[in-house]
Amino acid sequence: MRQSSSFRPAAGDKIAAAEVAGGTVPGSVRGVVDQPIDMVGLLAGAHDPAAGAVVLFSGEVRDSNRGRAVRFLEYEAQVPLAEKMIAGILGEAKEKWGLSIAIAQHRIGRVEIGETAVVVITAAVHRGEAYAANRYIIDRIKHEAPIWKCEYYSDGTKEWGNNCHCGEVKEDV
Amino acid sequence: MTIHVYAGLKDYFSPEFELADEVYDIDQLRACLLAINEQAGKLLAASRFAVEDGFIDNTYKFKAHETVIVVPPSSGG
Repeated sequence: MRQSSSFRPAAGDKIAAAEVAGGTVPGSVRGVVDQPIDMVGLLAGAHDPAAGAVVLFSGEVRDSNRGRAVRFLEYEAQVPLAEKMIAGILGEAKEKWGLSIAIAQHRIGRVEIGETAVVVITAAVHRGEAYAANRYIIDRIKHEAPIWKCEYYSDGTKEWGNNCHCGEVKEDV
Repeated sequence: MTIHVYAGLKDYFSPEFELADEVYDIDQLRACLLAINEQAGKLLAASRFAVEDGFIDNTYKFKAHETVIVVPPSSGG
């Protein structure tokens, strides 16, 4: 697994929840990174004695979109605004569901098929809160954070994504 | 006023440019951008606007020489 240069906790390190929610403390998890996301490292640090459930969502690049073959995606962000917004969403989720840990990290730049574009980790006393908060965080990031994907297709064309198509898909996306 | 645009809006505008016209609010800015490239109308209508401190609404009055970020619909994840 490729490692992100932005955050490499040692296995067993506990991430301070205040750092995660604040988004501005040196050494905390960055909301937006331009290197591969260190999903294993993030998960290794996302443990808390008070949390009986840890949920990790990984949004990954798939090889097709609406019947068209995709070669890769390129993400762009207005980074200061995106990080501020992600920190705010995490803070709201922590308060709403009483999370001990809430982490979200989105990648920008070229992301290949099968790579992680975004990861969300939530830890709570019980799984219900951890799942609900995780879904809330990723939905809000997708719909509100100033982050955009450009899809590069196998036929040589490219297309900027608009809003996601969650509403058009009956199954979970 | 300095304008920054992102994603699909870059198909219609330079990523960063100076706006010579004086504009005081979002409605005027949107009209000004439409005058530059009317083909961007649909995307501009769906876009949000932000300044350094964050997103702004239609009641916000621009300051002189402010940098404005035009934010098309998000498509992260």
